[in-house]
Amino acid sequence: MSRSEAVTRILFEAFPAAEVRLFYVLGFAACAAFAYGVYVQVRKYRRGAPAALAGGMWPRLGWMIARVLDHRTVERRDPAAGGAHRLIFYGFTLLFIGTATITLQYDILEPLFGVRFWYGRFYLVFSLVLDLAGVALIAGLLYMMVRRGWLKPPKLDYARPDRSPGDPDFDRPQYRREDWAFLWLLLIIGATGYVLEAARLVWLQGRADVWDTRWWSPVGALLAAALRGVGLGPAGGGALRHGLWWFHGLIALGFIALIPYTKVKHVFTAMGSLMVRDPLAAQRLARIPESQAAPGVAAITDFTWKQLLNLDACTRCGRCHEACPARAVGAPLSPRDVILSLREFAHATLESGTLPAAAELNVHGKSPGQVAQETLWSCRTCMACVEICPVAVEHVPIIVQLRRKLVEDGAMDPLLAKTLATIHKTGNSFGESRRRRGAWTKALPFPVKDARREPVDVLWFVGDYASFDPRNQKVTQTFAALLAEAGVDFGILYDGESNAGNDVRRVGEEGLYEVLADANVAALGSATFNRVVTTDPHSYNTIRNEYPDFGGRYPIEHYTTLLERLFAAGRLKVTQPLRYRVTFHDPCHLGRFNQGYEAPRQLLALLGCELVEMGRCRSNSFCCGAGGGRIWIPDPAGGEKPAQNRIKEAAAIPGLQVYAVSCPKDLTMFEDALKTTGNEGKFVVREIIELVREALPLAAPAGAHA
Amino acid sequence: MKILVAVKQVAALEEDFEFRADGRDVDGDFLVMDLNEWDDYSLEEAVKIKEACGGAVEIVAVSVGPPTVDEALRKCLAKGADRAVRIWDEAMRGSDSIAVARILAAAARAEAPDLLFAGVQSSDQAVAATGIATAGFLGWPHAAVVSQFTYTPGAATAVLRRELEGGLLHELEIRTPAVLTIQLGINTPRYASLRSIKQAAAKPIELRTLADLSLNAAEVGEAGSSARVRRMYVPDKGRAELIEGSAAEQAKRLAAIIRESTGAA
Repeated sequence: MSRSEAVTRILFEAFPAAEVRLFYVLGFAACAAFAYGVYVQVRKYRRGAPAALAGGMWPRLGWMIARVLDHRTVERRDPAAGGAHRLIFYGFTLLFIGTATITLQYDILEPLFGVRFWYGRFYLVFSLVLDLAGVALIAGLLYMMVRRGWLKPPKLDYARPDRSPGDPDFDRPQYRREDWAFLWLLLIIGATGYVLEAARLVWLQGRADVWDTRWWSPVGALLAAALRGVGLGPAGGGALRHGLWWFHGLIALGFIALIPYTKVKHVFTAMGSLMVRDPLAAQRLARIPESQAAPGVAAITDFTWKQLLNLDACTRCGRCHEACPARAVGAPLSPRDVILSLREFAHATLESGTLPAAAELNVHGKSPGQVAQETLWSCRTCMACVEICPVAVEHVPIIVQLRRKLVEDGAMDPLLAKTLATIHKTGNSFGESRRRRGAWTKALPFPVKDARREPVDVLWFVGDYASFDPRNQKVTQTFAALLAEAGVDFGILYDGESNAGNDVRRVGEEGLYEVLADANVAALGSATFNRVVTTDPHSYNTIRNEYPDFGGRYPIEHYTTLLERLFAAGRLKVTQPLRYRVTFHDPCHLGRFNQGYEAPRQLLALLGCELVEMGRCRSNSFCCGAGGGRIWIPDPAGGEKPAQNRIKEAAAIPGLQVYAVSCPKDLTMFEDALKTTGNEGKFVVREIIELVREALPLAAPAGAHA
Repeated sequence: MKILVAVKQVAALEEDFEFRADGRDVDGDFLVMDLNEWDDYSLEEAVKIKEACGGAVEIVAVSVGPPTVDEALRKCLAKGADRAVRIWDEAMRGSDSIAVARILAAAARAEAPDLLFAGVQSSDQAVAATGIATAGFLGWPHAAVVSQFTYTPGAATAVLRRELEGGLLHELEIRTPAVLTIQLGINTPRYASLRSIKQAAAKPIELRTLADLSLNAAEVGEAGSSARVRRMYVPDKGRAELIEGSAAEQAKRLAAIIRESTGAA
């Protein structure tokens, strides 16, 4: 044996053969427990419905690996926790690779092929890397303990908004115990690893191969110095090493065995979930397959395997809980708790050997694990939860699937039922006659083309609120005047247009959505145009992302990008810069849903406004509360509404003059909230269209607001 | 056990409308048709009885009208009716409430239900006579404006409550078969999802003619009606004026108006 080959770690040195055999027995037992656990999990997912995945397998795999390595999704809005997780992840992964490398040589390559590589310089560098990985792991774990024990961010409080104190599943103390057990277990494995290393050094201090190279394991060497300092000799070191070796080995094996049964499994489920992520999960909801007898999800087995995997990926990080506008105003909904409830339900029903009777699989209700109606109807489908989830849990499609079942049963607010019936009857949520859809054009000093009768360059899909709501009609008329001023050749569908259906679909009334989408696709098909524009982000989203599934593919844009281009081309010119101090509210369906963050801001800059951002902006924009059909459901009296919460945030901006919006529903919601929060007179709510109009007085006053 | 639910497809006016050339009705182009709101409640009441007893109840929705009425009947099928029957014959055009009641009574004799539900009134004509007139033709016990109803399928009697003026309640026991006209608010009608309406489209709607019901043309339509519409029109708008100014000025203006309207000049 060369000098170099002697520089290595003899794994079972001084172990009786029986102990080595015992270790292997325990090792295989741990692997068997792990494998059985994995089998139970896979069987659970296979009990779900089939899922169609978006995109190819390799790009999805690549995206998942990139996100796992760069931790981008983990550190968003919580860089400290993200950084600590990165330390734990890389520390743990390196240590795992290290252990796997030893197994590779010791149990596979050497006995089978006589190949050895784990010695000499490789071994020394290996020691150093693993020593540093251990430092990273322990540092990350300590921060997480400080965070849970002292910093206590509210999102880590498991108290549920959809349960009351005293309910058996109100704040789930077992979760807290598991969190701490996980941290302590990893910490103990890491710490005992170092002490074990130090004990081995003390024990073998007489062996030059070991002792002279000890600083390649700096932490171990320091600890060894400390142990020698308190009087530990080679014999004591040997005894300590033997005892600790077993302690460390057993808890490490125990850890492996526990992975599929505890939150540790997120290391696999989160990767799986990231890999099956649908980038348009909330933007483009799934159609109901022809073969499906009943719409939506009634039983846990109605969820797809992908959704069941989503449930298991949740790490209880609380980011969705923090971002949810319904939760923020005290509604009985936390996206986190919907996911965790369903996970508990799946655990209780789908992990047993035989599938329970159908009656026991119903996920609707108020028992532990079930999801209550009030919870589902509290959702605004604003996508804040989906957007921030670090492990690609797709809450919105899950909630809408559950709602589809409620709609089928008629389990909804009577006013919502009435509105849906009205939309079916008249094609709009205002219950106005179809004929009156284009009535707003009558106040204009010029005719608006009927795109069904003559070709136009731009087809303007107006939408319900912009067509019928009196306040929004003024904005609609102003936009028409701006288009005319810029010389845009545009037209509308008049009574050929129906409610676009975005919110109807998110309510869960898929049948009505199909009727609306088919009607609009037919109407659009009867017109000749080059592109579609709309002032309504909700219509924009569904036409852009969902109509293709109904055979309607159109180039469509939100008015903000069209106006921006008209300014860039010099067809519109600012003649009176506004100099207002404004803030901008990103509409969910323009921002989070379709990444339309820049155009509104550039328009505001063009107009000469000083933009002061609210804390929650862009992807973290706070929903006005109108989405997902909530605009048709009255909010409970007395409580705060999301729009009020938002206006209060804006009111904290010193010297704010204008709260700018770019969505008809936002205008309605925030003008109301401005009044009800007592901020009327302090600043105003304005559509960007109105600000544009103010900055470029037109030859003929826009709309003549008759 | 069978419950017959008489329903009507009613018309709602669009904002701008025109009258028919003969001036006796609104031009059909300006009407939006829908199931009468009261009938939504009476159908729901029938479905609730069916659900409460676990299903041994047949619910038959019946309506008098042309093929366009099928849409209202489909809604009934979507909401839980087991069968839908449409009765029509060109001779029935122009039937008033009494003539419709005569037709419904003939249908009820054919179906032999244990209960016949109708809405208190229709939202477009508001005569509020059809249900009770049907009971008259049948000679069955009846109760109008029912706001609460309790019945166990198979029982010889049902218990109901009616709202009277002054906040009083009238509790009655009634022999079956009986005719009840159902008031709004007796229950919360369910939502018929579009999916269920589409599925209902596949179910047949049974058609009955004059001959099927052993009626003759003279008993229905305008011939069988006791009243005839002479004309339909929009009355001249009344005037309103907000009188402003001091008390003396207001009194002066008021006096002028009184003089004007009494012709005292």
